[in-house]
Amino acid sequence: MSRIGVFVCHCGLNIAKTVRVSELAEFAATLPDVVVAKDYKFMCSTPGQEMIANDIKEHRLDRVIVTACSPLMHEQTFRKVLAASGLNQYLLSIVNIREQVSWVTHDIDEGTAKAKALLNGAVRRARLLAPLTSRVIDVNSDVLVVGGGIAGIQAALELANTGKKVYLVEKNSTIGGHMAQFDKTFPTLDCSACILTPKMDSVLQHKNIQLMTSCEVSEVKGFVGNFDITIRQKARYVDHTKCNACLACTEKCPGKGVSEWDEGLVKRKAIYIPFPQAVPQKPVIDRDACTFFKKGKCRLCEKVCEQKAIDFEQQDTFTTVKVGAVIVATGYDLMDTRSLIQYGYGKYPGVYNALEVERLFNSAGPTGGKVTLRDGKEPQAIAILHCIGSRDKNNYEHCSRVCCMYSLKFAHLFKEKTSADVYQFYIDMRAAGKGYEEFYNRIIEEDVKFIRGKGARVAQSADEPDRLVVEAEDTITGKFIKLPVDMVVLSPAIIPRGDAKDVARLFNLSTDKYGFFMERHPKLAPLSTMSEGVFIAGVCQSPKDIPDTVAQAYGAAAEALTIVVKDKLELEATTAMVNPASCCACQNCVRVCPYGAPFFNETKGVSEINEALCKGCGLCASVCPPSAIIARHFTNDQVLAEMEGLLEF
Amino acid sequence: MAISFEQIEQHLKTEALKLLESGKVILVLAYGRGYDANHPMPYVAKHPSDVDNIVFNEYCTANLARYLTRYPRRTKIAIAVKAADSRAVVQLIQEDKVCREDLVVLGIPVYGMKNFKTGEVIDSKTTGGLYNPVLYDILLGEEVHGQPVSSPYDVLAAYEAMDKEERWAFWQRELGRCIRCYACRKACPMCYCDPCFIDQNKPKWGEKSPESPGNLMYHLTRFHHLAGRCIDCGECSRACPVDIPLYLFHKKVAKDCEEMFGQAAGMSIGDKPVLVNFRVDDSDKILE
Repeated sequence: MSRIGVFVCHCGLNIAKTVRVSELAEFAATLPDVVVAKDYKFMCSTPGQEMIANDIKEHRLDRVIVTACSPLMHEQTFRKVLAASGLNQYLLSIVNIREQVSWVTHDIDEGTAKAKALLNGAVRRARLLAPLTSRVIDVNSDVLVVGGGIAGIQAALELANTGKKVYLVEKNSTIGGHMAQFDKTFPTLDCSACILTPKMDSVLQHKNIQLMTSCEVSEVKGFVGNFDITIRQKARYVDHTKCNACLACTEKCPGKGVSEWDEGLVKRKAIYIPFPQAVPQKPVIDRDACTFFKKGKCRLCEKVCEQKAIDFEQQDTFTTVKVGAVIVATGYDLMDTRSLIQYGYGKYPGVYNALEVERLFNSAGPTGGKVTLRDGKEPQAIAILHCIGSRDKNNYEHCSRVCCMYSLKFAHLFKEKTSADVYQFYIDMRAAGKGYEEFYNRIIEEDVKFIRGKGARVAQSADEPDRLVVEAEDTITGKFIKLPVDMVVLSPAIIPRGDAKDVARLFNLSTDKYGFFMERHPKLAPLSTMSEGVFIAGVCQSPKDIPDTVAQAYGAAAEALTIVVKDKLELEATTAMVNPASCCACQNCVRVCPYGAPFFNETKGVSEINEALCKGCGLCASVCPPSAIIARHFTNDQVLAEMEGLLEF
Repeated sequence: MAISFEQIEQHLKTEALKLLESGKVILVLAYGRGYDANHPMPYVAKHPSDVDNIVFNEYCTANLARYLTRYPRRTKIAIAVKAADSRAVVQLIQEDKVCREDLVVLGIPVYGMKNFKTGEVIDSKTTGGLYNPVLYDILLGEEVHGQPVSSPYDVLAAYEAMDKEERWAFWQRELGRCIRCYACRKACPMCYCDPCFIDQNKPKWGEKSPESPGNLMYHLTRFHHLAGRCIDCGECSRACPVDIPLYLFHKKVAKDCEEMFGQAAGMSIGDKPVLVNFRVDDSDKILE
């Protein structure tokens, strides 16, 4: 016999609108073992909480059911009420009649009926609930930051400045990310390198940051407070401990590779540093471009290297670091616009994508900062096409958010560096940001032509074969226009990194339909993820500009800090355990666990579970054929009783 | 070339004797005489003198892999396997129930095996075009070639022609006849749980008396516990005293599984058990 109290929340009208709450409370009072059932306007308010606490005492309750919102919202609130009243906090059961009932129907009869069924199940389960004790674990105070763009750099610096050790992992040979490719930044037009490179250098100099370039995370084990991260150091073929960055090797190298840095516009050497301010400023060998790796002889770099730093035998190595929290800031790719054949990217040499144009403007870029076409001529007319692939139901529905502003920046720079006419083809201008509207007005004054209409097609000009024609509908005049230009700049959709799915899988992140990492809550937990202890910052979450990215980086650093400043962390008691008498040693649990908690005890011939690693997801229990695994708080008895209650109604 | 069961029996005896005398294994799982020559039984030879009792004929259908999991790990065992039986050995190795190095697999390439109850040749029903073991250390005879190759799933044609309601009615009718003797689970090499879920009382997953819905609960759950693991030896159906065609369901699940994940059970010891091995590119069809 248990003594159950049921507390039905109205949530203002959120629930009461589509569930007859008083009827639900009356119904609850008729259920077995329920000794008190009440409804109240806001159960999470102080009076609501006090009501529960009083009833626990008055009616000597030993189980509490709150029918309210999702347990993600207020489970902790009500658990604290139980704990303060001397009840074990796991004797609480939440029935979600808001997200799962009132918000998914307009029909009050349906809503009330479903709420009753859910409550009926919850009462059956509550009778079988058992008190559990939370576990307390030690917390590792180090943090891993994945991605060395501006988000990763900023987060790493913030954390390092608080005295925490940070591992900054970057897959390229230098940090800096996309921001280092830019020439100027909107709306202030300050030089990207001038504001970024000091930060890059701080990372290198910081005693608390271990910079790991040419590295990738290859395995993640453990959980919040105690992650074991395996990092693959890709072979660089240059021993960076010996290299003194004289760069004699890069001068002599006969190999030719494509410069990723300059978006493939020029070639670079096979042994190279991507750009002069790269951090670390030490070269790596591109295996695919290296003459020695391709033909078996050359080794010129080895001959000129006085430090004997070249090592063609170098292999990938693996190191494991222990951290308490992780910040994922892996950034973005641009959509490959070659698939949109109407724009002729990859077909007509005069069509560029936005990042290529960034490099054209840059004094360290392929043209030394001069705006010239691929044939060396200066363009006389330039069209900038917004929303290529984004805001497009056939490709990506989302707005890439920064294109309007960087297109304005491009227009300004084109005006500054050429005498060309500049045309903007836009759907509508989005300039929401501090100083953005003012920047837009400034560019309008600079004699840039704005055509409200999405560029529909880019074709070769019939009259002048080396020119292009942009076709569009000017939606202000309602006329179709064909505009001859020399250069077309596409603003492609910003999309997740090609390997974002792998990263998501490594860290157990969920992704939205495009592959951007999902935040725990879009408004109230924008930097947390469903994977506890893993935070996200920057464009890997959704397209955003540099100010927002940096703000998120600060936020993510603070979030990570809330974990790693603690010595101990309390973990959910809802772990799984094995009943060895029933274990059939099939080891399904060992195979399916994403956290590596179950292991096979060869001596005893049964599986066991390392509860320190268990997150209580219940996967092992569900694949255990003889049901030898008991998921605490969700035992088979409890779940079956709940189902019986649901189906009975 | 017709297969000679006498020759296989002779090879089996010779190899068993060698293995037992050399001490390489401590027991040989093979077949012995039952109450008559047409009803051979599984037989465990432990001493060289036991070897004379070993027999092999067309009625030796039992899947001896069933007995592997009865011995403690690290027991050195020699086992005689036909094509499907060898897949059971492979599957058990994949599941880490037995260790490859503890086994000496005596492969029997054979066709024309017969159901001891009906005398019907079972090749097309449950050997699915496989006549040679997929894994063996010693082959007792020569590999079989030139026999008709049929898909293991051909026999499903009539079953698959039924719609959902007909299938449900079919299984209600067939499983309603089950007397809950559990011979299917005893004969199955992959049914090694002890206790079986159906024998448990807390929670009680299904009624234990031989009637629906307990019968359905037992069989449907067992079918799914064998999803991606059934190696199509057909022993469950032959062991069944009331002749329920259990193999149909197992084959249907095996077919779906192979179509979705591109892997049949027990074909290679390098494979991982398919339903508990997540791959990023796994088919999502199962969710549809």
